[in-house]
Amino acid sequence: MPKNIYLFSLQTFSTTGGIQKMVRTLAHSLYHISKKENWNFRLFSLYDSRYDLMSQYLPSENYTGFNNSRLGLGLTSIKEASRANIVILSHINFSLIGIVIKLFNPKCKVWLIAHGIEVWRPLSLIKRTFLKRSCDKIICVSNFTKQQMITRHQSDPDKCVVLNNAVDPFIKLPDTFDRPEYLLNRYGLSPSNEIIFTLTRLASSEQYKGHEQVIKAVASLKHEFPNIKYVLSGQYDSVEEIRIRSLIDKYGVNNEVILTGFLNENELTDHFLLADLFVLPSKKEGFGIVFVEALACGLPVICGNADGSTDAIKGGKLGTTINVDDLIELQDTIVRYLNTPLTLGKRKNLQKECLHYFDEKYYRKNLQKMLTDEQAA
Amino acid sequence: MCRVLQHGGPDDEGIFDDTETGLTFGHRRLSIIDLSHNGHQPMADAQQRVWITFNGEIYNYRELKEQLINLGAKFTSSTDTEVIISAYIHWGMAAFAKLRGIFAFALYDKEKGLTYLVRDSSGIKPLYYCAKDGQLSFASEVKALKAAGLANEADPDWQIRFLAYGHIPEPYTTLKGVFSLPKGEFLCWDQKKGSYDIHSYHVIFNKANIDDAASAKEAIKETLAFAVRRQLIADAPIGVFLSGGIDSSLITLLAEREKKTQLKTISIYFNEKAYDESMYQDLVFKQIEGEKFSHLVKQSDFEDFLPRIIEDMDLPTTDGINTWCISKFAHDDGLKAVLSGLGADELFGGYPSFSRIKYIKAARKYPAALFKLANHSAFDAYRKIAFLTYNHPIADYLFLRGLYSPADIAEILDTDITQVEDVLFANRKLPYVRNYDEKDAAWFEINLYMQNQLLRDTDVMGMSHGLEVRVPFLDEDFVLMAESINPTIRFDKSRPKKLLIYSFADVLPEAIWNRTKMGFTFPLQDWMKDNKEITNESLYKKNKSKGIIKSFKNDSVHWSKAFALYQIQMHA
Repeated sequence: MPKNIYLFSLQTFSTTGGIQKMVRTLAHSLYHISKKENWNFRLFSLYDSRYDLMSQYLPSENYTGFNNSRLGLGLTSIKEASRANIVILSHINFSLIGIVIKLFNPKCKVWLIAHGIEVWRPLSLIKRTFLKRSCDKIICVSNFTKQQMITRHQSDPDKCVVLNNAVDPFIKLPDTFDRPEYLLNRYGLSPSNEIIFTLTRLASSEQYKGHEQVIKAVASLKHEFPNIKYVLSGQYDSVEEIRIRSLIDKYGVNNEVILTGFLNENELTDHFLLADLFVLPSKKEGFGIVFVEALACGLPVICGNADGSTDAIKGGKLGTTINVDDLIELQDTIVRYLNTPLTLGKRKNLQKECLHYFDEKYYRKNLQKMLTDEQAA
Repeated sequence: MCRVLQHGGPDDEGIFDDTETGLTFGHRRLSIIDLSHNGHQPMADAQQRVWITFNGEIYNYRELKEQLINLGAKFTSSTDTEVIISAYIHWGMAAFAKLRGIFAFALYDKEKGLTYLVRDSSGIKPLYYCAKDGQLSFASEVKALKAAGLANEADPDWQIRFLAYGHIPEPYTTLKGVFSLPKGEFLCWDQKKGSYDIHSYHVIFNKANIDDAASAKEAIKETLAFAVRRQLIADAPIGVFLSGGIDSSLITLLAEREKKTQLKTISIYFNEKAYDESMYQDLVFKQIEGEKFSHLVKQSDFEDFLPRIIEDMDLPTTDGINTWCISKFAHDDGLKAVLSGLGADELFGGYPSFSRIKYIKAARKYPAALFKLANHSAFDAYRKIAFLTYNHPIADYLFLRGLYSPADIAEILDTDITQVEDVLFANRKLPYVRNYDEKDAAWFEINLYMQNQLLRDTDVMGMSHGLEVRVPFLDEDFVLMAESINPTIRFDKSRPKKLLIYSFADVLPEAIWNRTKMGFTFPLQDWMKDNKEITNESLYKKNKSKGIIKSFKNDSVHWSKAFALYQIQMHA
């Protein structure tokens, strides 16, 4: 049985994005598995400091934040290498660490988590070397990512395992599905509005999230749905803010689009409750943890059909995929959802179905099996 | 509780008891609008469905009242309090975002069994709450909660925070479980469940950016004049604090234009020439009519006032002595409300931190451990550089504005440095982007320094003399306008606050703006050095503290550090 399990992360707590959320849940699961099995688990986080820890995920004894110190993290990995039984690298950028650990301790099993765009591209020599020589298992967050690993990097299909991400264990799951009044007030909305919602990082360097398509769709739909509103949330940089505002102007949807900026984690669920539909027609989601969060709050989802999102909606069981370049398809799908809004009962049902696949308890079970099997092998 | 808060509301007292639910509201009144008994609080609507206890002023209450009358509302008084009740009845929670002013209130909706605590969007009026054992209590000052026995236990970490910041940063207080409600937010207490939520009530709208200097100046002129005009509403005597600096001179001159009756000004001057601003005050006096109350503050006054100042500050702080004094004079001169120039430095880049912040960005290129060396610096002022060791926004702020370094705090309080670091940095997430530009500096100044120190101290010191201090620069519409100005125009680097000054070039005398910045500063280094209590080394138990006081006597330590230690030992 594994004794020492180490998880290396670039950033876990000091910012919030899909990868960070995934690592938090992974660390939470690993901590509880290790506690139960009496194994020793530690999370090493490069860019976080020790003050960034969110202690609900794991206690401080199991966590080291290196506060940007690559040297500190490098030395620790060398020091711990000989003791490690399983090392999980949460990002391909840790390739060098993987190679070094394997060099010091060839018996140690080194796993890599493959998320999305960071591996759907040509890789440097070090990364390729790591994948070829030092990596024992590649945990792919979706089938799409697994295919990419096999076709782009010729990874051994037997080494690639799909483990879909889970719903954050600390998300506030709603029992009732009413629209929160304080948010209606804040955004100047009324119960008669049809509300579409997108939550994503709005970075000028990441032009694949598809919110631009939704803005265009809203511009055409506003005649058919005079009460339509589009709540577009997520942290933006100033370049992207200017770009979005000029798009809003260009398409004449100043009254329809509400740009909220960064959302506080504690208001996340309420935003899902506010909306009728979650739309993120992105081209490059490794998995799209935000989709399962929306579904876990009973909110129907539209996503792209050419990336890992398909796994998050279980190939169409939980939501609808579209060709993100086809604006008409996007509009038609939105119309279909808005014309038959989900009853509260159906929302409850959607939540139940989502948790049936993506509750952390199943994730933990699969993860534990993988850890145990690794040792047996 | 009401008795403890009497100083801030000398004119009336009221209690509302709902025996059914066990809810009680208390109120002490400082009457400024509708001085009659019609303004008695706690107040309810005619059906007694909604009850309120309210501290502050609603500047747009006349406009709201008109809208409400059009909706069929009936009013029995000319108070702004009644307008809040009616607004809530008509618009529900959406009413909160319609209010413009300085306010903190509790509103009880009997039908729904909900109690709301609501605080203004600039955080000018304070509101402290304590929620435990299924019970909610609240007050304008922490001492009221303590006096009522609702919270007795000290927060074990307050001394660490105080020594780092020079005040207690929001939402913390000196008491465990007692917190300050964040600005622009409301707490909704559900009577049946005995639980609560806190949310922002801000309205989000798509703002247009102001991208050229000419439109920015035009907007500043118009919006500030409007803010001053609406903040002059009062049925009781109102005046202006005039220090002689740019901001208070500007407010005074704008108020002079707007005021229908003669404008009263309150000023302070010193015998110490280096601190004397009276020649600049005279320049403004020449342009205004009305009574000018000018007061000399002597060292002996400081000695007399100090014990009362410390008693009145409610939470420990190293600032507020100046506001306490000028508020006392304003009160003695018969005023109930004054306008102040606070807020302009933060909005338009008037502080050295706006240019210093770029050093943090440069420092990030070096290994953090290097800055640890600063802990060993013989020069007291350099020890704060140790804050650059921590890659944390709070540490960045403390590098710019902090009092003691973590190593010094650990030594003074005889505790472990990791304990100090945990208290200061753990679980404190700040929503700002780290560009280390003027916008970030403004964020720090507005949300930390001004919020936690300037505004809190100003309100508590003013209210200790039954004086309401109003701040036109922080009028919600003015702040929104200022924040929509393109940062390169708003923070023109050639001169601090250049945009503001040039917007009012026709109003402000050049001698006022074309000179070295002084701030509203007292000769406290000399006065405290001569104070027998503060400099009495035997009061301080730890050698570290004794050493600091000794250095203070040699002038190698700033008075604020000595004053902080003095307050710490008082609580020991």
